[in-house]
Amino acid sequence: MRLHQWVFSLLLSFFYLGPMGTASADPTAGPNLVQEMADIKRMVVAMESHMEVLKSTVRAQNEIIERQNYRIEVFEKKQTSLPIQAAAMPQTPSPAKTLMQGGFNPDIGVVGTTQGKLTQNKADIDGNNTIVLKELEVNFAGAVDPYSRLDATLALNDNLEDQNIDIEEAYYTRWGLPLGFTTQLGKFRAMIGKENLMHAHQLQTADYPLVIQNFFGEEGLSSSGARLKNSIPNPWDLPLEFTGEILRGNNGESFSGISRRPIFNTHLKSFFEPSQDTNLELGWTTLFGDENPPRTILVDDGTGVMVEEEYTPAEGQDRYGVKVFGGDATFNWFLPEGKRVMSQSEIYFQNRTGRVYDNNAPWGFYSLVEYRFSPKFSTGARFDYLNPLDVAGRQGTTSISPYFIFWQSEFADVKLQYSHTVYAGGEKTDNAAFFVVDFMIGAHKHVVQ
Amino acid sequence: MMAKKILIPSLVVSSFALLFCHVLFAADKLNVVATTTTLANIASEIGQYKIRVASIASPKQNIHHYAPTPKDVLKVKKADVLIHEGLDLEAWRQPLLDAAGNSRFFGDGKYSIDVSRGIPLLEIPTSLSRSEGDIHAFGNPHYIGDPENAKIIASNIAEGLTNVDPENAAFYRKNAASFNERLDTKIKDWEARMAAFQGAPVVTYHRSWSYFVKRFGLVVIGEVEPKPGIPPTAKHLAALIQQIKNKNAKVIIKEYFEENRTPKKIAEETGIRIVNLSQAVGEPENAKDYLSLVEQDISLLEEALGTQKGRVS
Repeated sequence: MRLHQWVFSLLLSFFYLGPMGTASADPTAGPNLVQEMADIKRMVVAMESHMEVLKSTVRAQNEIIERQNYRIEVFEKKQTSLPIQAAAMPQTPSPAKTLMQGGFNPDIGVVGTTQGKLTQNKADIDGNNTIVLKELEVNFAGAVDPYSRLDATLALNDNLEDQNIDIEEAYYTRWGLPLGFTTQLGKFRAMIGKENLMHAHQLQTADYPLVIQNFFGEEGLSSSGARLKNSIPNPWDLPLEFTGEILRGNNGESFSGISRRPIFNTHLKSFFEPSQDTNLELGWTTLFGDENPPRTILVDDGTGVMVEEEYTPAEGQDRYGVKVFGGDATFNWFLPEGKRVMSQSEIYFQNRTGRVYDNNAPWGFYSLVEYRFSPKFSTGARFDYLNPLDVAGRQGTTSISPYFIFWQSEFADVKLQYSHTVYAGGEKTDNAAFFVVDFMIGAHKHVVQ
Repeated sequence: MMAKKILIPSLVVSSFALLFCHVLFAADKLNVVATTTTLANIASEIGQYKIRVASIASPKQNIHHYAPTPKDVLKVKKADVLIHEGLDLEAWRQPLLDAAGNSRFFGDGKYSIDVSRGIPLLEIPTSLSRSEGDIHAFGNPHYIGDPENAKIIASNIAEGLTNVDPENAAFYRKNAASFNERLDTKIKDWEARMAAFQGAPVVTYHRSWSYFVKRFGLVVIGEVEPKPGIPPTAKHLAALIQQIKNKNAKVIIKEYFEENRTPKKIAEETGIRIVNLSQAVGEPENAKDYLSLVEQDISLLEEALGTQKGRVS
């Protein structure tokens, strides 16, 4: 290489110095000559810099060749039954190893959540006064082809009644549709506010907010369907993201529970940066669906005796009888030394026929404030208010849940939470303490929300 | 029926509105998005007025733990070229690309410029296990700390832009050469100034200064983190304090976003000085470009190691 460099430099010098000598004999070429010389100097520096890059590449390649030679040598020795000194192996770059071992396998990660809960609630239901493996999530993700990818999360539950495996999410993403649309097909967490999108271990708190639990299920609304999303271009360069979803109707507390009666969901979000250290995300959700699940009614059997009978209202009777409107706001304030204050609130209102539940205008909200005051610790509190589906009138359930998180590392955390809840009517209260440990191994990357 | 009445016309109107906006706001320059402010600065030195550069991660936050925002998604969605540090420095890069769905950046196509190509990497792990903390599978990704590597980065960016925009190849190469020329002059100056501190024992908070200390001949005797990305423990700190006393280390090098409480505790026990350095242009605010950033780092270190009157927290 050195010899080549010298030869190359000499040729370069002759090539450039020759014309320069001719040019210097011409007195009219003075200013041009200075310009040319400056250009030549720049070119030489550029070439030197390229040479440096090439040298580095060659060094790296030589290193790899050396390692490969060593491997071959070790392999040959192994063939002749000589002992291998594993400790003497030079460092092997992991990419090569990963490529060799991983091949085209998807990224795989496992996330476990155990929960200990002490409560005044006497019901022998899952999680009360016990320590349980709440969930074990197995994640698979990878590119399908240059246009699409697959993300899947299987949740293994240690429920009291039966241990089972749920498809928590499994969806196919196809980018690059006309006008920049992206579609997702399969089963996914519905784009409702902020917390509904999160898996349990991603939550700041031990449980989902009461309004999410009551309106969309204990772990939020996750359903099969199709999603279409895009950014709306605008002259202010403001992020405006629109999402539309059609979800299978057999999921969600607020809707019909009939799979062929779909739930329509739209979500619009925007994002602002008031200063270099703060940001604010605002979102608006609108859902509408049916409200007429089969139910039991009393019917005269013809002999004057009233008997129970399952009754399904005629199709179309309660079409779009449920409308849910919601707003969400998340504010982040980044402080020096990696500290952060985060505030998040969501509010939901329903407008429904009132045929299934007593309440035709339930609503609720939560508001959460968290302070991460060191790399290891954060603390916060969540306030919940809920005018539930099954309680008519203006009575509401309130709950306050202070919590504390110990971040053992990026891959394990411990959450402690106390919740004081006063149920609608004010006659029943509950005090509960949660102890949650989240841990993960393998590849695990959270979707950008 | 209601769905048909509302949804279909809405979709048609939205589609036309989107098409109109796409045409109306089409860009004339090459839209470049860089994952860090430092890469954005070097790219702007090379592309100058022929490109429009935006950066993703805030210089005030830990690059490993940055959470991309909807604004970042939009930047990537609209970009023609992505410049990134490669390896696994930006663990959030792939989720961001997935969210943006800009197919130009999938795989190793010409629109995605990985500036780590050709950089001799340090600390390549021999085995991968999280029991070793948040180690990097491909080697230490904080190579931007060595200004010699910035020359390779500049050349990689120039070549990357040339691949995308061959008409301006000479322009990009000339600017990269000019940048590297200025950097060469400064490196000589920085090396001369740091020559007096060759072999000086130092402590770093995170293993993010390996390339920097190697370039300027400093010796890291320990880190505040027991293992990369793992918060310090009492047991580890006790051992580190003893080590600092034994080796007479003079300086703890940390970044602005790292907490001060633990280094201060160590300083109280040992008298060691704490110096805030940065690898991100814009932190501190007067580090407006890569050269002034390294200049600032060198000056602070020089002061702390030399006169012991450095800017300390």
